[in-house]
Amino acid sequence: MKQKLQLLLMFLFLFIVQNAFAQDKVVTGTVTDDLGVPLPGANIIVKNTSNGTQSDFDGNYSITTGVGEVLQFSYVGFQNQEIAVGASNTINVQMVAGAQLEEVVITGYSRRSQTVQTSAVVSIGASEIAELSPVTSIDNLLQGKAAGVQVTAANGKPGQGAFVRIRGIGSLTAGASSPLYVVDGAIIREEDLNSIPNDDIENITILKDASTTARYGSRGASGVVVITTKSGKRSGDAKIKFSSRFGVTSRINPNFDVMDAEQKMQYEAELYALGVSAAGSSPGVTTLPGSEERQFLLDNEVDWQDLILKEGIIQNNNVSISGGSEKMDYYFSVGHDRNTGIIDDLDGFERVSSRLNLNMDPKEWLSLSVNVGYSRSTSDEPRDRNNVQNPFRAMYDYNPYETEFVLDEDGNIVVDENGNPVYNPTHTTFNVRGAILSEPAIAIQNNLLGSVSAEVSLFKNVSYTFGFAANSINERTESYSKPGGILDAIIGDPNNPGNKLDTGTYRFDMTISNRLNYRLNKNKHNLDLVGLFEFNHNENNGYRVRSIGFASAELNTQINASQVTLGETTRNILTLVSYGAFADYDYDERYLASASARYDGSSNFGRDNRFGLFYSGSLGWNIAKEKFFNVDAINDLKFRVSYGTTGNREGISRYAAQDNVAFDSYPGGSATRPSNIGNPELKWETTTTQNAGLEFNLFNRRIRGVADYFIRTTEDLLFSIPKADESGVGFIFGNLGKIENKGLELSLQGDVFRNDNLTWTLGGNIVFLDNEILELPEGEDVTPGNAFNILFREGAKINEHFLVRYAGVDPATGAPLYYGADGNTYRGLDLPEDEDENRVLQGKSTIADREGGFFSNIRYKGFGLRADFVFKAGNWINNFVKSNLISDGVNIADNQAIDAFNYWKNPGDTNVYPSPLISQEELLAVNSDRFLEKGDYIRMRNITLSYDLPSKFTDRVPFESLRIYVQGQNLLTFSKFFGDPEVGISSGETINFANSVAPGEATLYSYPNTKSVQIGVDVSF
Amino acid sequence: MKNTIYKLTIVLFIAGFLSSCEQDLEQLPFDEFATENAFKTAADFENGIRGVYLQLIAGGLYGGNMLSTPDVMSDNTTLSQYGRFTQRASHNFQNSANNTLRGTYQNAYSLIYRANQILFYAEGFEGENKNNIIAEAKALRALAHLNLVSFFGKIPTQSGDANSSLGVAYLLEADPNIEPARLTVQETYSFILDDLLDAKSKINSTNPEGRMGKDAVNLLLSRVYLYMGQWQNAVDAANAVTTPLASRDDVVGIWEDTNKEGVIFYIPNEQPVLGNNIGVTWSQGGVTSLIPEYVASFQLNNLYDLGNDIRRDAYIFDGSVNNSGQVVNFNGIKKLYARPGGQPGTVDYKILRAEEAMLNKAEAYFKLGNETAARQALDQIRTRRYLTPPTGETGSSLLSAIMLERRLEFAFEYQRLFDLKRWGLPLQRGGAGDLADGSGTPSDVQNIAAGDNKFQLPIAQESLDANPNLVQNPGY
Repeated sequence: MKQKLQLLLMFLFLFIVQNAFAQDKVVTGTVTDDLGVPLPGANIIVKNTSNGTQSDFDGNYSITTGVGEVLQFSYVGFQNQEIAVGASNTINVQMVAGAQLEEVVITGYSRRSQTVQTSAVVSIGASEIAELSPVTSIDNLLQGKAAGVQVTAANGKPGQGAFVRIRGIGSLTAGASSPLYVVDGAIIREEDLNSIPNDDIENITILKDASTTARYGSRGASGVVVITTKSGKRSGDAKIKFSSRFGVTSRINPNFDVMDAEQKMQYEAELYALGVSAAGSSPGVTTLPGSEERQFLLDNEVDWQDLILKEGIIQNNNVSISGGSEKMDYYFSVGHDRNTGIIDDLDGFERVSSRLNLNMDPKEWLSLSVNVGYSRSTSDEPRDRNNVQNPFRAMYDYNPYETEFVLDEDGNIVVDENGNPVYNPTHTTFNVRGAILSEPAIAIQNNLLGSVSAEVSLFKNVSYTFGFAANSINERTESYSKPGGILDAIIGDPNNPGNKLDTGTYRFDMTISNRLNYRLNKNKHNLDLVGLFEFNHNENNGYRVRSIGFASAELNTQINASQVTLGETTRNILTLVSYGAFADYDYDERYLASASARYDGSSNFGRDNRFGLFYSGSLGWNIAKEKFFNVDAINDLKFRVSYGTTGNREGISRYAAQDNVAFDSYPGGSATRPSNIGNPELKWETTTTQNAGLEFNLFNRRIRGVADYFIRTTEDLLFSIPKADESGVGFIFGNLGKIENKGLELSLQGDVFRNDNLTWTLGGNIVFLDNEILELPEGEDVTPGNAFNILFREGAKINEHFLVRYAGVDPATGAPLYYGADGNTYRGLDLPEDEDENRVLQGKSTIADREGGFFSNIRYKGFGLRADFVFKAGNWINNFVKSNLISDGVNIADNQAIDAFNYWKNPGDTNVYPSPLISQEELLAVNSDRFLEKGDYIRMRNITLSYDLPSKFTDRVPFESLRIYVQGQNLLTFSKFFGDPEVGISSGETINFANSVAPGEATLYSYPNTKSVQIGVDVSF
Repeated sequence: MKNTIYKLTIVLFIAGFLSSCEQDLEQLPFDEFATENAFKTAADFENGIRGVYLQLIAGGLYGGNMLSTPDVMSDNTTLSQYGRFTQRASHNFQNSANNTLRGTYQNAYSLIYRANQILFYAEGFEGENKNNIIAEAKALRALAHLNLVSFFGKIPTQSGDANSSLGVAYLLEADPNIEPARLTVQETYSFILDDLLDAKSKINSTNPEGRMGKDAVNLLLSRVYLYMGQWQNAVDAANAVTTPLASRDDVVGIWEDTNKEGVIFYIPNEQPVLGNNIGVTWSQGGVTSLIPEYVASFQLNNLYDLGNDIRRDAYIFDGSVNNSGQVVNFNGIKKLYARPGGQPGTVDYKILRAEEAMLNKAEAYFKLGNETAARQALDQIRTRRYLTPPTGETGSSLLSAIMLERRLEFAFEYQRLFDLKRWGLPLQRGGAGDLADGSGTPSDVQNIAAGDNKFQLPIAQESLDANPNLVQNPGY
């Protein structure tokens, strides 16, 4: 009765509205399944618009539209239907079973059905996100999900993101190869993706080719990832969803062992006997086997990996409430995430987040929407540098006979004058166990991501949209060297003990956009035109303050310090002004065409080179929609081609075009320092992409596939061009050279079984990638900064290792041999001299040439078993960690891998490591590829066993749905690599995330990757 | 109609709000300043010249390598087994193109760029401090090139072929795109001399703290003439140095920053202006918790006549560390150690001292055959260092005494490697270990033959890669 009353009121309302706006009307109706049972949650969209709603619990819906518009109805497991709006205000729909939900592609400026899309795009929806690995940062989740999207976890630090590369490396400059991330219209950095909880995401659309990325003009060259957050359902009851999971995490066990105390001492004795004098002061030599001293060491043996690491805890809770009334909808959520990480005594990462999304139609001609998300995270920042302060280096370097604390003769822990145990400095002079407590570092981030928009329908078919989107991040890092702590005792000022550094950054990114939209649907012609004027402002503000002299380790803020030693503030701004025009057209979904042009001006280029024009065009043909095409097995068969240009402005300093100085201090006053050698010629880096694709759906859509071939050519690369050392300037930013990425992307998915009780879906994707450096300035080689041994050379692949070739151990002498430039083998000190460069490029790049993922998803009644695998092949990693663990006696003071025993002993020995007898000078003389290893691996990223309570039970309980699951992450890895093959950052403070030119070039003790097992429950009511 | 007005109002309001956006493309840096505006006034040039000096304390120069490498690559130091093995390849004379002093090379040329930049702008400037600025820039440019050629090239008097061997590129203008070739040693020194002579004629007799004055330029000239074998010029330049020598009582205090006797050029190292921990190049930690990278060699330690020669107390201290319950004693290097009670490693940068002029003079006089004058100059030093100074040597024992005194006076003070080179001496470390009593672990490499080409450091591979006109030193 109540509902009828509502309906009546609605009609009444509609009647009034009808008088005011003849072209707008509200259509209502009921969506039912093939048996006539109401379908709640069916999607209803006004075709070619972003105007949509969902049916309520009783299958009822209502939507504002106009006569002549087409309504699209979709529901999982049913075929889509389209019904034109006529005179009637009621449209009841009975769905027909057996079809897939049509995917919607959101390009940021428009929303299009996959059917009429002419671009290579991949769309990942909320339901799939929910099924995938629970990760704190959603970039990690993309791995293996989309063909041509290469994802490498930066490292295993809780909350850490990933390097995402779409269709290869689009630029040779650090930080310029990450895609553009757009969240509800706001631009966000790859590093900051961890501020968005997975649960809030409705859709992630990855734009790969120019026909869509060109709409982002100067920033689309490395692909675009468009993230849309959730919204509520109109005219639906509030739906409350609670998700919770809990689990344990630990390091992925390495596939090698280091020596125990007995082995290490034996090794020391062996090497000393061989004549390695540096072993002389080690306990393997100074204590005799069987002696009391030796036994004392063995009795107090320490497993440093066990001591420094722990089994961590992962915890996540999220509550969302969503729903709506007739003219508005809302989505509200609160979440809490915690991942302690795997370092003992540290708390790791913690985040609280909240979001409110509102959409409303205050007038018939006006729609407003507000999306606001706030999150606050805290993260422990352990040292991630290749030095003695790094716990992940220490756990390998410390010898097992070295104890955590200093022991007296009786084996009791020695205490200091305050009664605290005295940490053993170990042979490295620095005890990380003590330092983890005395040198805390923490990063706190407050992130506000918001967008508001207003859509005004001006005339028939014409609307205007104003959008304002902002991302405001306040980050503070604090590192404290406590008075009397491990580091303070070494480098502190005894008169001013303790040292505190506070660093703050305020980042602000704001986009104001104005769009004029014209839409025409007539006689099977569908045309969508958008005119754009957009302004983007990006600003960074920073401060750093350091003080020394703290009266107590408990005092933390600098107001208590005796002396301020550093205080500074910084600011920089980057702006962008854009004009654009985009067009999408289709005829009966059969013939498809799109075009775009965008004119962007950016503040960081030379005054005369500020603006760039980017454009694209694409065509598509869905043969299966032709009348003459009559193959029952083929539901869809679409060909599409596209061509277009995109730009890049990242990777250079914001004022790179200008000659500048900065000022430091020197006794007597200011001191002028050249800070930038300007290049007024500086301009856009331009990428041209050609794409040809084929999409097909077969056997009533049981088999679905996409294939794409692309060629991406990037020229005028933005680069810090190294100058001769003698010039004294280091480098200058400029436009340099040309590179090409081309590849074939395949993805295929099929339902092996599909019936009422059992579905089994198998799917996978792969990219075959090929890249080449086509041109460098004057044809000269370039050695990039922020890499170890990478060289750019014309004709070579991007990011090839440039090293001398190792030729194995000379069986006669035990000496390592290397190939000289002439192809002969030499000992390290005898290599031919400089004239002939002995280092070579061997086609071994840091970039994988095959990468992808595959999955299996079985559903039987309420049970589900899903496994996702990722794989990568063809990349090469310089394994510095291995070179330190098998050092041929060079690092005899450090613990070594058990493998190190396998050194050359007698003439004729093969398959051995070089003899420690060889002089250090010789062993260290050559920078070779001895430890360059293939990075190939297959990893089971996710395995989930779940159970959904069937609806016949949920009727009897107060829940609408209930899902419980157990999930394992990274439980299996197949690789021949020494250590973990998933290498992103080598060492975070040596080459940080943003500056990495060649992620995955080398291992250097960064935070290890982790595995986890979690149990979870999702309830909605 | 009413609605149309609403709609248009909204659109117009927003459009008006946005009309000024394109002006925002004109962005100027906040944290930097346009170079063309940075060299206009007298104060600008004072700031500019301080900027050149500041580069002098970069890590490859007097902030690190220049402070220690000439002694690390000598018989004055022994590698400590208790440190981090820094500069081990240099200590062992095992440098290679992949492991050399590239930082020194880059920092020196970056200093030279700054000097050339200020010289460029000084041409169009007519302020009263113009000449002094030009003089300082040229003196700094000369000093940077001198350090470069001392490390990477031979010293003119080192051997017969030295003058025609590879020197370094000498840069006279700030050109970011230059890819210069190396000059010969002779050509390099000729440019160094030009710069110093011009500096001498223009520089103020004294300049503010942290800057060179006339004495500094004269001292550098005497060193350059000595290196070149122009003995009379070396004497004359040394005689032009007016700063008095430090007395015996002052010697300890010089290294504890309680006096500046005899110091001609130093850079105050105080918070908040600088306050750098430069002593880390030798050691970290307190006296009884010492983490030495290098210790004074047992050989050098024994050359100081303990109790008689004040420099044993001034240059070396008794340090120790508790290593797993055992106390280990070191001959710690004191020259950069600390101010009394101060933070370890933080002392002033002392770069030029009057004592060098006197010892340059002694050596030059000896070479001129004037033994009396040579001995007198030598005794000027010895009477200020010993309670009962040795004296009276003649002939070759006088030369040995001059060489010994130079080693003792300038141990850990940026001379020893260059002296070994130019005297054509071998490196002989004597086999003692790293502990105070000579026990412990000796350095890996004990001897390097005289004239070994390893005395000239290799050019870094990256430098060769970046400049096709650059040639590597022989033997690498």
